[in-house]
Amino acid sequence: MTVWNAAEECLDLEERGQQQLERLQSTLNRAYKNIPFYQNRLRSAGVEPSRIESVSDLARAPFTEREHLSENYPYGLFAVPLRDVVRIHTARGTALKPTVSGYTRQDLALWRELTARALATAGVSRADILQIDLDPGLANWGRDYKDGAETIEASVIPLTLLPPEKQLMVLRDYKTSVLVTSTSAADQLIHHLFQANLNPISLALKTLILVGEPPDSEVRERLERQLHVKTWVHYGLTDVPGPALAFECEAHAGLHVSEDHFFPEVVDLETGEAVPEGEEGELILTTLTTRAFPLVRFRTGDRVRMMAGACPCGRTLRRIEWFPRHGDEMMVIRGVKVYQQQILLLLERALGFPPSSWRFIARRQKLRNYLEVWLEVDERLFSDEIKEMEKLSRDLGMDLEQELGVPVRIRFRESRSFDLSGPAAGLQDPGGLLQGT
Amino acid sequence: MLRIRNLRCFYGRIQAIDGVSLSVRAGELIALIGANGAGKSTLIQAVCGLLPGWEGEMLFERASIRGLKPPALVERGMSVVPEGRLLFPPMSVHDNLKLGAYLRCRRGENRAVAADMEKVFDLFPVLGERTKQAAGTLSGGEQQMLAIGRALMAQPRLLLLDEPSMGLAPFLVRLILDILVRLKEEGMTILLVEQNARSALQIADRGYVMENGRIVLDGPAVDLLADREVKRAYLGKDYREFCDGRA
Repeated sequence: MTVWNAAEECLDLEERGQQQLERLQSTLNRAYKNIPFYQNRLRSAGVEPSRIESVSDLARAPFTEREHLSENYPYGLFAVPLRDVVRIHTARGTALKPTVSGYTRQDLALWRELTARALATAGVSRADILQIDLDPGLANWGRDYKDGAETIEASVIPLTLLPPEKQLMVLRDYKTSVLVTSTSAADQLIHHLFQANLNPISLALKTLILVGEPPDSEVRERLERQLHVKTWVHYGLTDVPGPALAFECEAHAGLHVSEDHFFPEVVDLETGEAVPEGEEGELILTTLTTRAFPLVRFRTGDRVRMMAGACPCGRTLRRIEWFPRHGDEMMVIRGVKVYQQQILLLLERALGFPPSSWRFIARRQKLRNYLEVWLEVDERLFSDEIKEMEKLSRDLGMDLEQELGVPVRIRFRESRSFDLSGPAAGLQDPGGLLQGT
Repeated sequence: MLRIRNLRCFYGRIQAIDGVSLSVRAGELIALIGANGAGKSTLIQAVCGLLPGWEGEMLFERASIRGLKPPALVERGMSVVPEGRLLFPPMSVHDNLKLGAYLRCRRGENRAVAADMEKVFDLFPVLGERTKQAAGTLSGGEQQMLAIGRALMAQPRLLLLDEPSMGLAPFLVRLILDILVRLKEEGMTILLVEQNARSALQIADRGYVMENGRIVLDGPAVDLLADREVKRAYLGKDYREFCDGRA
């Protein structure tokens, strides 16, 4: 059993409570002092940082929503002067404006530490060759995983956008022993593996780190069986820092949240009120140690439940069970969160008008997950030249792919294809569906 | 060992500390840094029982110290080296040291007290050479050594120091800090309040930065030393740069 930082990960619970309170108070003091957004939000909610006297008092503070990140584009949520920021990350965000987050030198060290912690827990060591294969939508994590794996002194094959066949070639020829990827991409890998007539036993692969989406237990079991590997799940945030802030240990009983750096809450999706321990709700995160980009009660949009009891691994970091997202505004494709509002805005920008009827479907074909966009062909979209329609479809697809970081296919449909008598929105297994007029 | 939660302190209607939480674990050397008037010394005074009427919670070895007077806190294992040393100038080095062990002498621990005085002389040989000299005639550095020695005579488990480097030449500051490192290595738990942030953070395990009665930063001392915000504000760079930024 490897514990990367036993002093922090196994800290006595009473000490943990004190540590979290101290870090929370100094985070709130800094956010209030340095970021007008937080000062205004806390003031209007009547919350004085110095009156947050316990971690449970944090529930009095308002949430930070994803939209707030775009609204404060680019540097409105930075808590330090730009000269202290050594890295600036851009994420796709939920609207047209991207989300920008900054890191000081200490922040980068923190993410190296957290990623190394999660990788070490999965048994990754300097003897390993670690390959990162993530979709463009998860590119920011590629850098963090590279840094974390280098901290462990593993040999890293950084994120390079290659077609699946070439990724497989690298996996085989470079003798990759650890692969960081999404569940969907891993599934696709198996497809290509068998297509290439390769025996998984001939590979050096022994560890699969699954990120971006909680794997279905059946899929996970199949991946382990077919690839002869152990799988480990990591949870992270894509639009703001960063990956692996919760991770599985050898007990594989939930994901330990790195509570020394993040304070987790679970709230009811509708009311925003805290749910009783063990009940499912939305995960809310507050950063406790980040310098440049503190987040106060950030709504992750992810569904979890807090697990009770001690973990046999000895870590005192509380655990969450992570569930697939079933929301009416978002889908997860190849580990990448795709927002309805964002697709609509992108379509409107590309077309010059909002589509009259639309359907967004998370599709899966030959083990390849992609977003299918149905658009109603009305008089504004229609052209009597088939070439024009094909060009429009291609251009829209490329535009969306670039913006969203996932494969996209555009389909034009007649109005009768849009039967809105069923559920207007909501995920449907195995993919998801969002629809509207 | 020392756990403070939501401490608030007042001087009349003026609030000097506003919701400070801080902890010192056994064996740690903690640096509390901040500008003049940040509330650092107020915090020390509240901990060692010199400032009644504070709000919040303070636990020493898991027991509340609310309402305890300084002698009771010394009895429990806490000693303070106050700002400005506060020695008894006409009294000799020997007598000043003995006063530090006042409670122990009353309990009849005279032999142990004598042995501890030898330990202090081992730590600060110059004091051993001047046992009969009046404290008021010692140099600034020697007086600081005597103040630390006096605090050690009570056999504390937690040593609180309020600006021990104040007014001392750099080589004396180094000497005093080296002694603190030695004490820590021998198992002493130390809370060091300092304006000389760099020196304090160089020897500390962790640090807290206080501003206007609140903690605004905390973390491993090595991280705080490298923190640009701390560097600008407390390690000698122009404070205005900090406010202007690059934006």
